[in-house]
Amino acid sequence: MTPTTRHGISPFLDPGPHTKANSLAILQLSRDNLLPVYLQPPTGEHDGYAEGAVVNTRYGSFPHSTMLNVQWGSQIRASKVDTGSRGRSLKRKREEGDDACREATGASEKDNDDSATAATGDSTPAVKQAVADTSGFIHVLPPTPELWTTSLPHRTQVVYTPDYSYILHRIRARPGSVLVEAGAGSGSFTHAAVRAVYNGYPAEGRRKGKVFSFEFHEQRYHKMRKELSDHGLDGLAHLTHRDVYDGGFLVDGNSPEADAVFLDLPAPWEALPLLSRRRPASLDMNGSATGSKQIKWVSPLNPNKSVYLCTFSPCIEQVTRTVSAMRRLGWVDIDMVEIANRKLHTSRERVGLNLNFDRGVNNSAHDVEEAITRLAEIESRFRDHAAKPGDGDEEMDSGDEAAGPSGQNSAATNGGTSAEATSGTPRWMEGRLITRGEPEIKTHTSYLVFAVLPREWTEEDEAAAAAKFPVGKEQKVIGAMDRAARKQERREQLHKQQQGGSNRKARRKERDEKMAEAAG
Amino acid sequence: MHSVVRPNAWVALKLPSGSTKVIQIAPNTTISLGKYGSFPSNLIIGRPYHLTFELQDKLPDENFSRLRAVPVDELYAEVFAEEAAAGCATPSASGASNAVISTTDGEEFSLVDDRGNVVARSNREILDENARQTLTQDEIEELKREGTNAGKDVIAKLLLSHTALDQKTSFSLAKYKLLKTKKYIRRFQVLPIDVENLAHWQLEERDASKIMDMRAEMIGLVGCWGNVHFGGDEVLLLEPQTSSAQGAEACVPVDRGLLKGRWLVVDDTCGLLVAAMAERMGILYDSEGTEPEVQTEELKRMATEQSLARSDDSEKPHTRTPTIKSSQKESDTEMTDEPLKRESDGNPKQQKPRPSDFAIPYSQTNTITVLHATSQPNLSLLNYWGFDITAPNHPPHPLLNHLLSLSWLQLLKPELDTAYSTPPSTATPETLALWKPSRRGNFHRKRRRYARIRHVVDSTRAGNFSGLVCASTMDPISILRHALPLLAGGAPVAVYSPSVESLAALADCFSVPRRTAWVSGAVPEIDGLSGEELERWPGNERFPLNPTLLQGVSIQTSRARRWQVLPGRTHPLMTERGGADGYVFTAWRAIPAEGKVAAKGKFKRRKVESEAATPAAA
Repeated sequence: MTPTTRHGISPFLDPGPHTKANSLAILQLSRDNLLPVYLQPPTGEHDGYAEGAVVNTRYGSFPHSTMLNVQWGSQIRASKVDTGSRGRSLKRKREEGDDACREATGASEKDNDDSATAATGDSTPAVKQAVADTSGFIHVLPPTPELWTTSLPHRTQVVYTPDYSYILHRIRARPGSVLVEAGAGSGSFTHAAVRAVYNGYPAEGRRKGKVFSFEFHEQRYHKMRKELSDHGLDGLAHLTHRDVYDGGFLVDGNSPEADAVFLDLPAPWEALPLLSRRRPASLDMNGSATGSKQIKWVSPLNPNKSVYLCTFSPCIEQVTRTVSAMRRLGWVDIDMVEIANRKLHTSRERVGLNLNFDRGVNNSAHDVEEAITRLAEIESRFRDHAAKPGDGDEEMDSGDEAAGPSGQNSAATNGGTSAEATSGTPRWMEGRLITRGEPEIKTHTSYLVFAVLPREWTEEDEAAAAAKFPVGKEQKVIGAMDRAARKQERREQLHKQQQGGSNRKARRKERDEKMAEAAG
Repeated sequence: MHSVVRPNAWVALKLPSGSTKVIQIAPNTTISLGKYGSFPSNLIIGRPYHLTFELQDKLPDENFSRLRAVPVDELYAEVFAEEAAAGCATPSASGASNAVISTTDGEEFSLVDDRGNVVARSNREILDENARQTLTQDEIEELKREGTNAGKDVIAKLLLSHTALDQKTSFSLAKYKLLKTKKYIRRFQVLPIDVENLAHWQLEERDASKIMDMRAEMIGLVGCWGNVHFGGDEVLLLEPQTSSAQGAEACVPVDRGLLKGRWLVVDDTCGLLVAAMAERMGILYDSEGTEPEVQTEELKRMATEQSLARSDDSEKPHTRTPTIKSSQKESDTEMTDEPLKRESDGNPKQQKPRPSDFAIPYSQTNTITVLHATSQPNLSLLNYWGFDITAPNHPPHPLLNHLLSLSWLQLLKPELDTAYSTPPSTATPETLALWKPSRRGNFHRKRRRYARIRHVVDSTRAGNFSGLVCASTMDPISILRHALPLLAGGAPVAVYSPSVESLAALADCFSVPRRTAWVSGAVPEIDGLSGEELERWPGNERFPLNPTLLQGVSIQTSRARRWQVLPGRTHPLMTERGGADGYVFTAWRAIPAEGKVAAKGKFKRRKVESEAATPAAA
C-alpha cells in the first residue's frame, strides 16, 4: 500500500475528476463485491507482471495502468495478462537469489511500499502495454464512506451505513462540529464522521470540524492510523491509543470541546462520568479514575452548547445500565431505537405455460383462464382418444398424433396474444416486476441510545440573561390564542383590507415589511 | 449555532402532552401554551436549549408567570425511586416531588406522600370497570384555576381521590400517574429548530404528505448515499468591468474548472430535502462561524435597539456585507421612489461604485442546484431557517449565494424561456441619467436577473455535478433521463420515494438482462450512435434509460423501532406512526467503455471455449 499525497484533499472529500496514482480507488467487481485498491503508477515489472501492478479477479486481470487517469466511474475492460509464466519465474527467482530479495524488501520498507519500488530499482520502466481481453469488466469508483464500509478490511464489528447515517443525523454532526468517538473499530464510522464534520482542513486560528477518535486495541490503532493517513484524513481525524474508561477524553490534557459523542464501547456507563461538565461525584469518591484529586477537572465537552450523544450496544442489559447512568448524570431526551434495514432486489416474476424454459421461469399456468384452456385441451385429447377403439400400440401412436396438432392449436388459440407477446416483448420485459428482500438480512445490529446534555446554566448566567432581557413590556400574545382573540384579530384584518383596498402601493409596502420581518 | 435562544429565532416548545409548538420567539411578547398557561418570551430568550422549564405561580405583585429551570434529578425522580426500591442501582437523592410512585418490594407499587407514609398500595385485585375519581370535573377545574405548584398539586389530589387506586396493578398505577401528569403538569422544553426537529414535527404533527412522509432514517440515508458534504470554500467569480451600454456579450462565461462540490436536487418536500442537504454542506444556519462574542454583541444590540425602526434594521446588513447586497434581486420596492431616497440619505451607499449588473452572486463551489417543475421552486420550509427564496432584498443568509434554482424548461429548452433568451437591454450612461429613478432601477434589475439566470442555466448545463439527490412526486425515470448526463463520473445518485413501486420500475431499467442486451450489440436502434448520443439516449419502450449509465443499483428501506427503557419495564413501543415506509434507490454514475464489451467471466471449464469464441465476441 502506498500513501496518498499528504497535501492534497482526501479522495473521500474531493476525488477530483480523474483517478490518480497512489490514491485510493474502489473497484466494483459486481454489485456487492467491492475491492479497495491503491492505484500504482506503472513503473516497470511488478511482482512478475510485465504490465506493472495487476488486480486479478474472476472477471479477468486488470493492470493498474489501465485504471489510471481515467474518469471516475469508468468501465474498465480486462486485459490479457500472462499469469501463468509469472508463477514459475517467481519461484525460480526466489530460489536464485535470497539476498536480492532481502535487499528489495529493505528498499520497500523505506518507501512504505511492497515491491513496486524494488522493481524500479533494477529494471528501467519498460511497461508492457496492456491488451484488452474479453473476459469481463469492472468499474472504478471514487472512495466514499459507504463504499469503504462495504469493502473495508474487517477488524471488529462494523457500524454499517443504515446505522451511521441515522446516528450522524441524530447527533447533529455537521460541518464544523467536533465529534468524539470511542471505539474506532474498523473505522467505518470514523470515515463517515469526518465527512459529516468536514468544513476545510485546519488553518491558523480557526476552529474547524474534527473527529477525535479513541481506540483501545493497539494493533487496530496502528492499522487505523495508517489508513487515515493513507486516506489523506490526517488533519481531520485525530486518533489516540487509549482506554477511555481510565484515560478519559482529553487530548494532550486539553478539552476537544466536543459537540457530539459516539460511544461504541462494551461498557458505556463507565465512560459516561468522564463526559460531564463538572467533576462527577463518582470520581470524587474513589478518585481512581483521574489518578489524583488535585488535577483540575477539564470537561471534554463544548461548554457553550448542548452536547448530543449516541451509544451503540448490542445487548439490552447494556442499554439498561447505560440509560440509568445517563439519567443520573443529567442527560435528557433519552431515546432508544434500533434500526432495521432491508435491501430489496427487483426481478421479473415470469409465470406462464408458454414461456421458455429459462432459469427463474415458472412454467405453470399464470391465471385461471390459462389453466382452464390447458385442462380443456387435455380433456378433449383424452376424449378423442377414448372414442377411438384400438390396441395398445395404436393408442400410443394416435396419442402422439393427436398431441401434435392440439399442441399447435393451443398455442394458436389461447396463446394468440401471449405467443405474439413472447416474440415481440424482450425477455427483460416479460412478467410482473416484483421486489423481494435480500436472502439474508441483518435483523439486529445494536441498540442506539441517544441523549442530550444541555449546557450548564448557573444563577449568574440567569441573572445576566434576565438583566439583558427584562420582562414586563409584553405587547402581544403569540402561540395559542383563545378563540375570542383570534376572531378579533381576523375582524381587524378584514376591516383593514376593506379600507385599504384601493391603495395598492400601501398594500405592497405592507407585504414587503411583513416579508422582511419574517425573514429577519 | 444553537448555543442560546436568540431573539426572533424559531424554536420548538415541547409540551407535557407530547405535542410540539413551533413558534418564532419575538422579544417582548407573551407566549401562550394554551391550557398549560403563558409566560413572557423574554424569559427564554438568551437561555440555553434543551432545558425544561416549569411555569411558576404568579407572584402577588406580578401579572405573569415566572419560569423555573427544572433540575434533571427532579425530572427523573420517579425512576430513581423505582430503582432505589428495586435495589438495582446506587441510591441517589430523589427529587422533592410531593408524591412519588415507587416500588416497595419488587412487584408492588405504592403511592407515598412527602413524609414517606404509604398512601396507597397496589395489589392484584381486578379493577372495577369504572374505577372512580371522586373529584368532579368542576372541582378539578377549580384546582386547575388555583394552579399551584405547576400542576403537581392537582395531580397529587387526583391520585389521592381515586377510590380504586389501591386496586390498580403496578403498571396501571404508573400509567395513570403518567396520564395525569401529561395533562396537568405545567412544564415545557425548548428545542432548537434544526432539520431533525422540524422534520419530526412536520411528520408527526403537521402534514406528513407535505414532506412526502420522509422520516429521519430516510433523510440520513439519502444524505449519506448522495455523499452530500461540504464541497469546498466559497469561490466567487471576479466582477466584470461592464458598462450599462454592454449587452449579453459582457456576461462572464462559465468556467468549468472552478465548478466543484455541486449537488443537483429535485425536491417536492417543500424544501425539507434542500434544508437537510444544506445542513450537511454547512450552509443552512445563519450564524455559522460566528464567534460567541459577536453573538452576544448582536443580542445586546437587539435588546437595546428594539425601539429603532424596522427599516434601519433591515439596512444594516447591507452596509456590512456589500457582496450580499449585490447578490439578491434589488427589491420591487425600488420601483417606488421612497426606499431609494431613504437609502441615499441614510447611508453613504451612493458614493460607492454600483456593482456591475453582470456580477455573478453565486459561489462556484459547495452549491445546491434545485430543479423544479413549476416556474418557482416551492421551498417554503426554508422560512424556518430565515430564508425566503421569494423575498426581494433578502438579509444575509448563506443560502443566498449557494442555492441555485432553475426550472426543467430552463434546463432542457432554455431558448423557450423568456428570461433566459431575451438579451438584456442596453443604454448609454447619458441616457440612463435622464431616466426616472424607477425606470433606471428596473433597467438594472432586469440586467442583473438576466446575468443570474444565464449563469445558473449555463453552469447547470455544463454538468459535472458531484451527486444527484431526489425526492419527487415525478416519475424518477424521466428525472434520471435528463439528470444522469449532468453527473460527473462516479457521482452517486440517491432517489427517495415513499413507496417502492416507482423505484422498482427505475431499478428494472438497469436490470442485468437489459444491460446485457444493450452491450451485446443486439439492439439495432443504438447502432452507430456516438458516446455522446448514447449518454443523452432519449429512451424508448424497450430501453427507457441507457442501462449502462448507472452502476451498483440498489433499493433499501430503513426503519427505526423505538423502545421504552424503564427499570423492569423495557420493551418496544406498542404503537408507532404507520403510513409510508420510505425507500431509497442508490447507484453510481458509470462511464461506459466505448464499443462492445464482452463479459464472459473467467471460469476454468470454459477456458478453451472462450478462446474459440473470441473472434465472434470481439
